[in-house]
Amino acid sequence: MSSSKQKHSMQPQPNHDESVRQDFVTDLRAFLTDEIYPKITPYYEKNVETKFIKEKNRKPKDKNEVRDLMLKDNAYQSWSLLQRLSQQMMFTSVIDTVERTLDDLIERSKKNNDLGSLKLDNKIDMPRYLTAYDIHQQPGGYHTESTEDDVSPGVVYDISLPIYSRNSMGSENDLLSQAIIGHIEKYIDNLKPEKILDMGCAIGNSTLPFAKIFPDSEIHGIDVASPCLRYAHARANALGVTAHFSQQNAEKTDFSNETFDLVTSCLFLHETSHDAVPKIINESYRLLKPGGWMIHLDVYPFHRDAIEPLYDFLKDWEVTNNNENFSGALRNMDLPKIFEDAGFSKESIEFTSAEAVAKYTKGYTGDFYLKLPIYLAQKPHRQ
Amino acid sequence: MNSKIELPRVAKGKKPIYLDERSIDNLMAMIMTLTQEISVLRDRLDTIEKLLVNKKSITLEDIETFEPDDDLIKERKDRRQMLLKRVLLPIDKELEK
Repeated sequence: MSSSKQKHSMQPQPNHDESVRQDFVTDLRAFLTDEIYPKITPYYEKNVETKFIKEKNRKPKDKNEVRDLMLKDNAYQSWSLLQRLSQQMMFTSVIDTVERTLDDLIERSKKNNDLGSLKLDNKIDMPRYLTAYDIHQQPGGYHTESTEDDVSPGVVYDISLPIYSRNSMGSENDLLSQAIIGHIEKYIDNLKPEKILDMGCAIGNSTLPFAKIFPDSEIHGIDVASPCLRYAHARANALGVTAHFSQQNAEKTDFSNETFDLVTSCLFLHETSHDAVPKIINESYRLLKPGGWMIHLDVYPFHRDAIEPLYDFLKDWEVTNNNENFSGALRNMDLPKIFEDAGFSKESIEFTSAEAVAKYTKGYTGDFYLKLPIYLAQKPHRQ
Repeated sequence: MNSKIELPRVAKGKKPIYLDERSIDNLMAMIMTLTQEISVLRDRLDTIEKLLVNKKSITLEDIETFEPDDDLIKERKDRRQMLLKRVLLPIDKELEK
């Protein structure tokens, strides 16, 4: 399948050259992942590490020592630069299409809005962790408004994801919340949520599957980025799903105490900050009804056991090379303690690798993303 | 490229280093963008070739609405991999040291 086909009516149709330009980036990323990346470990062992051992009579002890060596190594740095460039080329090739079709997309977004609701807040304080740098190198980030009623950052994100993930997230980019749903079925008995909140929902790709699995629930998505929310609402309408989107910071929302039965997020925490994470967990606790569940899926395995220094170093690639500045620090945070401090039941806290089968996802082809950890915790029932 | 025999593609001998600064990063970006544009041109030519097999003349509309079938998508994917292998050969070989 070509990566650049329309998946729903809120996506733009690329012209011939845009389409094959995007296909090239998909194939470049495949080449870098399948052909080049596997050569890094043997190269490191044969060359970089061997030289280090000769000089110091021992192996590099941690990722910091590996980093010092690798950042001076031209072969490694060439791969790293190419990987970074492939991300830039992905966005450039997608932005061409979005820019050309933007007037039409904005018009369409205004027509497609009967289902659910959209509430924007133009006085919201944008958190510095979103404005200080553009996460994933998406130019302008999630939040920048380039024109009135802009939806472009949301569209760019939606059609970049299949290129980024090599079409492994399903035709609606919803693999991750399908993994969460798989976990709900596995770990939580008889969950019948009346109200569900998805934090940091961006374009709502991880929000909407809950509406399908729990058709009687009221589904809410919040985010600070207005252009993504406009697109999320139009996209939900294009897919025929009812969901309510509002522009709010997950650190402090305007929902009343004990509003939700399920509070969730997908790849959200690592795009916040050291200060924000405990606030988001506290807010999750406040918003949950007694007995309600919090489920966050995020990057980076939680294992703190000895990881090979090279592997540890490579895991941090996105931090310094792809503007995921906080994801490395998140790995070192004591999440079980933060959950407990917020009031969640100690025995209910689960940190588990997402081995769930994404059985509801059509067109999903890989299991890389299903290895991401899912953090589950329950708010105690009222005594 | 169907042969299983792999002939040497890099000559032995000293390889002087010329650049090691921001300019080489920029050069890499320019080379990759040029490679991308070669790939775009090759795919466009391919579209035109495929259309002309069945027709005497074609329109711009024919090109823009052309939908490659699964076989052609695979053929193009393979060709892009070969293009990348050629262009990125020096880096690929460096990492095989």
